Amino acid sequence: MSALEVRELSKHFSIGGALRRSHVHAVEDVSFALRPGTITALVGESGSGKTTVARLLARLYDPSSGAVLFEGSDVSHVRRRRDVLHYRSQVQIIFQDPFGSLNPVKTIRHHVERPLRIHHIVPSAQVEERAHELLRTVGLVPPEEIAAKYPHELSGGQRQRVAIARALAVEPKIVLADEPTSMLDVSIRIGILNLMVKLKEERGIAFLYVTHDLASARYVADEILVMYAGQIVERGPVEQVLAEPLHPYTRLLLAAVPDPAKRDAERIGTRKGVASAAVDPPEGCRFVSRCPLAIDVCSHVTPPLVEARPAQAARCHVTAPAPSTR
Amino acid sequence: MSQLDPTIDLPLAAPPRRVRGRIRVPGWVALLLRNRKSRAGLCMVLFMVLVALVAPLISVAHPNDFNLLAARQAPSWHHLFGTTDQGSDIFSQVVLGARRSLLLGAAAGILATGVAAILGITAAYSGGLVDEGVNFLTNVFLTIPPIPLLVVASGYLKSRGMVTMAVVLALVLWAFEARILRGQALSLKSRDFILAAKASGESTPRIVFGELMPNMISRIAAAFVLVFYIALLTDAGLEFLGLGDMTKTSWGVTLYWAQTNSTVLQGEWWPFFFPGAALAFTVLGLVLLLAGIDEVSNPRLRTERPERRRLLAALVGGRLVARAEASA
Amino acid sequence: MTALAEEPAVRRTSRKALLELRQLAVEYGSGARGVRAVDGVDLEIREGEVVGLAGESGCGKTTVANAVLQILRPPARIVGGSVLYQGEDLVGKKPEELRRFRWRNVSMVFQSAMNALNPVMRVGDQFVDAMRAHERIDRRRALARAGELLELVGIDRRRVRAYPHELSGGMRQRVIIAMALSLNPDLVILDEPTTALDVVVQREILQQVEALRRDFGFAVLFITHDLSLLLEFADRIAIMYAGELVETAPAERLGTNPRHPYTQRLLQSFPPLSGPLERLSGIPGSPPDLSDPPSGCRFHPRCPHCGPERPELYGRQTTERPVLREVEPGHRVACHLVEEEEEVA
Repeated sequence: MSALEVRELSKHFSIGGALRRSHVHAVEDVSFALRPGTITALVGESGSGKTTVARLLARLYDPSSGAVLFEGSDVSHVRRRRDVLHYRSQVQIIFQDPFGSLNPVKTIRHHVERPLRIHHIVPSAQVEERAHELLRTVGLVPPEEIAAKYPHELSGGQRQRVAIARALAVEPKIVLADEPTSMLDVSIRIGILNLMVKLKEERGIAFLYVTHDLASARYVADEILVMYAGQIVERGPVEQVLAEPLHPYTRLLLAAVPDPAKRDAERIGTRKGVASAAVDPPEGCRFVSRCPLAIDVCSHVTPPLVEARPAQAARCHVTAPAPSTR
Repeated sequence: MSQLDPTIDLPLAAPPRRVRGRIRVPGWVALLLRNRKSRAGLCMVLFMVLVALVAPLISVAHPNDFNLLAARQAPSWHHLFGTTDQGSDIFSQVVLGARRSLLLGAAAGILATGVAAILGITAAYSGGLVDEGVNFLTNVFLTIPPIPLLVVASGYLKSRGMVTMAVVLALVLWAFEARILRGQALSLKSRDFILAAKASGESTPRIVFGELMPNMISRIAAAFVLVFYIALLTDAGLEFLGLGDMTKTSWGVTLYWAQTNSTVLQGEWWPFFFPGAALAFTVLGLVLLLAGIDEVSNPRLRTERPERRRLLAALVGGRLVARAEASA
Repeated sequence: MTALAEEPAVRRTSRKALLELRQLAVEYGSGARGVRAVDGVDLEIREGEVVGLAGESGCGKTTVANAVLQILRPPARIVGGSVLYQGEDLVGKKPEELRRFRWRNVSMVFQSAMNALNPVMRVGDQFVDAMRAHERIDRRRALARAGELLELVGIDRRRVRAYPHELSGGMRQRVIIAMALSLNPDLVILDEPTTALDVVVQREILQQVEALRRDFGFAVLFITHDLSLLLEFADRIAIMYAGELVETAPAERLGTNPRHPYTQRLLQSFPPLSGPLERLSGIPGSPPDLSDPPSGCRFHPRCPHCGPERPELYGRQTTERPVLREVEPGHRVACHLVEEEEEVA
């Protein structure tokens, strides 16, 4: 059973004036499912559309097409306040920038208590107590003191914990974590990642962990989705994908991650090309200009996501050819 | 003119500060008090407010009392600011006139800024049709030529009271402010904390008034001060031209009578000087306050980009340096 | 110049010192409210060597770089120690001397420098500006050289005519690197040069820097928070914590046998990409406030080995400041615990 299912989701942003309008295909034909008690990593470089996916799921944007199935029905276009509120009480988002996601003129108490009040999670009399409990859950002690502070009085790691506490306040089934550690110091990152794992295990929360850091994805996630130029180019169990990547982009990413063990080692060759410009993309594989394996068909047929190994699928004519052309 | 720049980002995002233990002063007030210009401006304006408050106590006589025996007297201990050709005490006129000027400016400021803030910010946050509608309305008001409207309104309206003037001035000035505030709100609305509030289920009014607006206090304050002094100057100007209620006490009226009776030609400088100086003093205070608010809240003076460019320039040397310093 | 290309890392580190920091101390503000951002840092960079300086944000690593180039901005100022460049102290030099020294001898690429390019000037003109500030060179020749430099960093030479906004972030960062090399400096300081970029672009740029370094023989001071990157690219690594240097060692050695508890924990903060996975713990707590640093060893409140259960050591650690001591040739650590272990051994 999946907690949330995404089907053929696309989001196009219009750019340019009325005369020469073009569309950025920020997200195109993305399908996946989030399961309770699992962490699904969504990795890709900046501009690959991974943040847009998280925001689409958080209902901060409306998708251009496709469906988001939640509790059996499509929620991608619900507008009624009651329905939207219900969805928001189950699906929460954590933003990348802990310095930007908290209102600078409001206390920590405000941030944690508001969701409790909006969704009537507990009777008014217990709101304060519950807020303190939440702060304690995310490791912010003493909660009474923290609650009275303003965001600028906390460190980056502490702020991100506040953001997590706010997301947890509604007791969500699904948490979308958009690069929650990328703005934090290395020594603090692990703490946030461990907290995610703990919440997954104790509360059965389904996490979407958006990141560009493959190593941290491996550390926390069960499943991985690799995005390139708006499309999912590979998906599968994280260990399997990182050990034996199918898509050349996944291989390129893996090779680029600093790894002390492979000093001076050879890496996969790349051709020069502009990364992931998805403005009015033509038909064909979007990675073709950088791909070392490209063949003729790549530049005019968009490869479908094909399950080339059990549970592992990729969008590549070469390493994961569709059954008909195999 | 950072006031007019809709791309301005980051208002006074200063949270309250603890001052001596318990008392919390809003962050922007603390910042304003630390800025030299705004501190001076604030003191000047507060001084005028104080004068206006105690005016009945310190004015010597009813400002319109006339006493031909004491007419056209130069400033003396008896008449600090001299007297008019009717023998009225100018000191009394100036201190009591401060009441009208300040009240009118404040009223116009509150009206215009209130309308501008509510419409501008709501439009920016809602987008779509609401935004289009408000934009249209703003543009209509921006195309109305203000001076003729003001002349017509003040010259021909039956009631020429202060309230009418404040409303007319607010009507002319709000659109201008709505523009600025909308631009500001637009840049704030895509901030993560607004998205976060939305994602946690806050309603639109709560986001607009509870999350967005507190972050725009400095811009709103700046808008208020701007309208305040424009209204004050315009009102005095209209009265000086004789387009007002000439039976009331105000700086503009005193100036008007001074002008009609061509006092300067007779070597009498005081009927002009004192109301004029009061007006200039108040406006200067407001301008300084505005400059201070601008300085404190204008990110151009604080962002990192010029800093980076300065750094590069310092490293490289050469012409870049001058340019970077000019831009910083 | 290409003779350097095949030289092993070990040889590189045995050359003569190019830059030496001796007990460098930098303070922001003054008096009781002064903050010592850098406190007694000793660091040596030899010719042609890549030295990595790692630490968390606010540990003073960027301040060190700014102090080397004497571009600290008031209220920051050097309050002690010296910056020796080829034996000559840079502290207290005249502005004009420093101006000539910067960029020609030591250049710097700082974080997000790509955004520092002047948006209304063509890239080539910015090169010309920089070059002409230091030497007499006519415009045509300067532009030609700019083209060559761009080609060196993997950008088409025709891009000298481009405006910064026509280039991607990675390309702009390369432009800055090319500018940093325009006067053939002996030392290039890279301060988080790739932090804002994607991993793939980051690797491409760093490989280019490495190739250029082999060709030109300049030394590199590489400042980053990403220790795993340094393990791969640097010859020697220095770790900073709260304004102090806590450990320096050759890269391989630091990677395999870190001695300072902070270094150990820092290394354990990076989950591995291959091999077995274990629960990592990061470092509890957060870096200290430098306006009121902990007494003794600044890391002691976060140190896993330091607790009241060992009173004697704890007493020393909370009162006495540890100094860098050599534990192996080229490997120096500032830690009472390590000192004690060495004595026992």
